[in-house]
Amino acid sequence: MSLFDRFFPPRTGGSKDDAKSRLKILLVHDQVDLTPSQMDAMRAEILAVIARYAEIEATKVDLRLERSTDGVNLISSVAVRRVNARLAVAGV
Amino acid sequence: MSECIVITSGKGGVGKTTSTANLGVALALMGKKVAVVDADIGLRNLDVILGLENRIVYDLVHVIEGECKLRQALIKDKRVDGLYLLPAAQTRDKNAVSPENMRDLVKQLKEDFDYILIDCPAGIEQGFKNSIAGADRAIIVTTPEVSAIRDADRIIGLCEAAELPEPMLVVNRFRAKLVKRGDMLNKDDILEILAIPLIGMVPDHEDVIITANRGYPAAFDEKSVVGEAYRRIARRITGETDVPFIALEEPETIWGTMKRWMGMSVGMVAGAAASTPARAPEVQAVAEKEVAS
Repeated sequence: MSLFDRFFPPRTGGSKDDAKSRLKILLVHDQVDLTPSQMDAMRAEILAVIARYAEIEATKVDLRLERSTDGVNLISSVAVRRVNARLAVAGV
Repeated sequence: MSECIVITSGKGGVGKTTSTANLGVALALMGKKVAVVDADIGLRNLDVILGLENRIVYDLVHVIEGECKLRQALIKDKRVDGLYLLPAAQTRDKNAVSPENMRDLVKQLKEDFDYILIDCPAGIEQGFKNSIAGADRAIIVTTPEVSAIRDADRIIGLCEAAELPEPMLVVNRFRAKLVKRGDMLNKDDILEILAIPLIGMVPDHEDVIITANRGYPAAFDEKSVVGEAYRRIARRITGETDVPFIALEEPETIWGTMKRWMGMSVGMVAGAAASTPARAPEVQAVAEKEVAS
């Protein structure tokens, strides 16, 4: 970094970052053709299934579609508080 | 061996017609025999961009309906050998033409031309289907904007579904200054998203407007940076490899010069300071950063 940049720092986090992240989401949804409410429904159903076997933290759930070179992937990260052994065995 | 290339984009107003006209001129200047075909039935514009609007007698629909011979409808550009325009009909709509018609037309044109460039209308309906019907490959024009890239992605999918092998990308209206300050998607961002090979970058430049006003494509002008961008794309189309991308940097501003000069002077201070044990901590910190970067 030059002395000039110390006094006049270059702007970071320009609007192109917004453009890029919006595009990535947009293109996946164009390809998958699920409406936002269908996405929400899918999310709720998947979480309901997990909740039958484990206690999860609803605020620490990340479930999204992402595009890779081989197609669309469903990426999910769900924070599990503890697996409920009794429920899992009973298969409730 | 002749080739038919469709110039398409999905979104309107990103520069398909300008690109078709300039690539036609650039290929003809390389000594190729080129037919540029306006497939935008009902909204023709390629004639205007090429400055040939006053010479139209017959058009593409006349040829397809057998009212004239193909040869009669082709307008020869007198400014360069080997460039011909097949204009679109202005008073008909795109349903006057079918994909079958276009395939036949391209087949006929291939007997006489090295390259057939088809200027595709915006959209993904009949006009698009007609335009890609006879094509061997596609060039997708986009601009560094969310809407244009989204549409380009859709078109790439449709080209692949139509078994047009490996579409190539032209990024138009590139503004180095905006990219530099992080307010425009750069080349790598766009290629990461669209994942197709790049065949050219065209700067956003007043030449495009001036040449459109005059009906005299920039590719004719040896000094035009836009013309040079298109001439290089034309070389890549003919299979030339190792054609470098043009430098899209803005000319250096006073700020830039000052910045460079101040950067240099810090380097000099650092160099001088190295031989002096006692130096101000601030200068030392700056000097170390210089070395690190």
